[in-house]
Amino acid sequence: MNQARRKKVSHALEFLGFTMPAVIAILLFVGIPFFMCIFYSLRKWNGIQRKSTFIGLQNYIRAFTNDSTFIKAIGYTLLYALLTVILINIIALLLSAILEQSNLWGKGFFRAAFYIPNIISLIIIGFIWKFIFGRAFEAIHQATGIRAFGWSWLGQPKLAVISTVLVTVWQALGFYMLIYIAGLQSVPDDVLEAATIDGAGKVRRFFSVVLPLIVPSITVCTFYSIANSLKMFELIFTLTGGGPGDATTSVALDIYNTAFNSNQYGYGSAKSVILFVMVAFITILQVTLFKKKEIEA
Amino acid sequence: MKKTKTSSIITFVVMLIILACYLSPLLLMVFGSFKSYSEIMSHVLEVPQRFSFDNFKNVFESMNYPRSFLNTLFVTVFGVAGIVVISSLAGYKLSRTKTRYSYLIFLFCIMPMMIPFQSFMITLVKLAKELGLLGNLYGLGIIYWGLGAPLSIFLYHGFVKGIPHELEECASLDGCSPLRMFVSIIFPMLKPVTASVVVVNAMWIWNDFLLPLLTINSNDSVKTLQLAAYGFMGQYKMEWQNIMAGAILIIIPALIIYLIFQKNIVKGMVAGAVKG
Repeated sequence: MNQARRKKVSHALEFLGFTMPAVIAILLFVGIPFFMCIFYSLRKWNGIQRKSTFIGLQNYIRAFTNDSTFIKAIGYTLLYALLTVILINIIALLLSAILEQSNLWGKGFFRAAFYIPNIISLIIIGFIWKFIFGRAFEAIHQATGIRAFGWSWLGQPKLAVISTVLVTVWQALGFYMLIYIAGLQSVPDDVLEAATIDGAGKVRRFFSVVLPLIVPSITVCTFYSIANSLKMFELIFTLTGGGPGDATTSVALDIYNTAFNSNQYGYGSAKSVILFVMVAFITILQVTLFKKKEIEA
Repeated sequence: MKKTKTSSIITFVVMLIILACYLSPLLLMVFGSFKSYSEIMSHVLEVPQRFSFDNFKNVFESMNYPRSFLNTLFVTVFGVAGIVVISSLAGYKLSRTKTRYSYLIFLFCIMPMMIPFQSFMITLVKLAKELGLLGNLYGLGIIYWGLGAPLSIFLYHGFVKGIPHELEECASLDGCSPLRMFVSIIFPMLKPVTASVVVVNAMWIWNDFLLPLLTINSNDSVKTLQLAAYGFMGQYKMEWQNIMAGAILIIIPALIIYLIFQKNIVKGMVAGAVKG
């Protein structure tokens, strides 16, 4: 009896010894800060003093009724996310299909080359594209006379929104291509052969056979692109700085500005909680919708 | 037969053209980094007249490159090492222990993958300040342990499921202590997933900007490459030839890591992505 108990205790200690370092690290740097954020979202707090006062839901009410920058940031973030998610997934799937379906020479080379922008940090990407949109586009405009290159891609609010979308798609494409290529490789050959024997052409085969079979990859890619675009910060930080005006201020950038530039930590915390709810709601909705469409090969 | 050959050549050429357009911004960056100020202002698209390394020399000094490089290397190695240690231990044990508590702890560990960093960064900075983790590289590295562990535990947890139990049972009958068994038997078997965990986290920490900006930006001597780049590129305003040279100096180490570990990156990214 005593021995069995001792064994149980030693098992429990062993379990704790293995898992506690990770649990403590996650608790300290994610769990506690997250709950602190919920706590401070109900308080007025300037972040400099320790003192804060309870004000109920006033921060949330203010965010939705009395803060045009924040409302605009939500609108921008949703539009930006919608456009990037659609463009990334269509282009990545298309390029992956071309790479995988044909017996193309140098598949590995193409895959690696398309991935290169993905290894560059987003703040550097921002600087590079500031140069492209500014100097390079102007030079192309002078050389070719194509009107579009003469537009003010970062200076005009609507175009600046498009610019942030384009650069994001450019940067992220390689990552999503990797997932789609892995999905396409898992489509069994015999299914494709059967479709060919039944007289399906390349295009028909892709839409009727391949596409339904790679829905899991589409689910993953859509999930990732939604989650990443809803929390975009770094690229915008250097490419547009949120401007012109606040045309490209994302929710994440607005949170940063609210807390660290205007020292409204309590208010910033409330916006943080809103961002969390937004991301959680949209991604859970997306995954449930897409999971229904998945079929077994 | 002949028809498929011509069509595949056409596809190849088309893909090559798409790729050339796709990577042309990076080509302009390389060209720009060799040009002088007047040349980059007047001839943006042309190949540089001569390949001079003056810009790189300027940038190397004004960015304090060796210092920031070593800082970034230290944070990356320290952060990744910690993540590997705590996540492999936890992922292994959580996967092997089949109780309800173990499952709940597993859920707690992977839940943070759903929480965007920006939705708890404000209070994280405040908490880190209380813990004395601001303004130094150790503190930054330790914070990465908590942020990187969830995905890594998830990857280890999944991998351990596929490893047979027998070896562990033999070892424990031979009187091997749990920790020793982990270090000498289990951990070597986790090598493939460890490679993925290392690559995914190393690329993330190397390129991360927001967390260093929030934690160590006030202290010049501990700046990472990304912070140094941000500071120096803002200060140079429109001197594009220097900015492009700086960008290249920062991309090169990441490019080298990528080229060496390319296969693991593919595996790691796909493994990390399929968690959904």
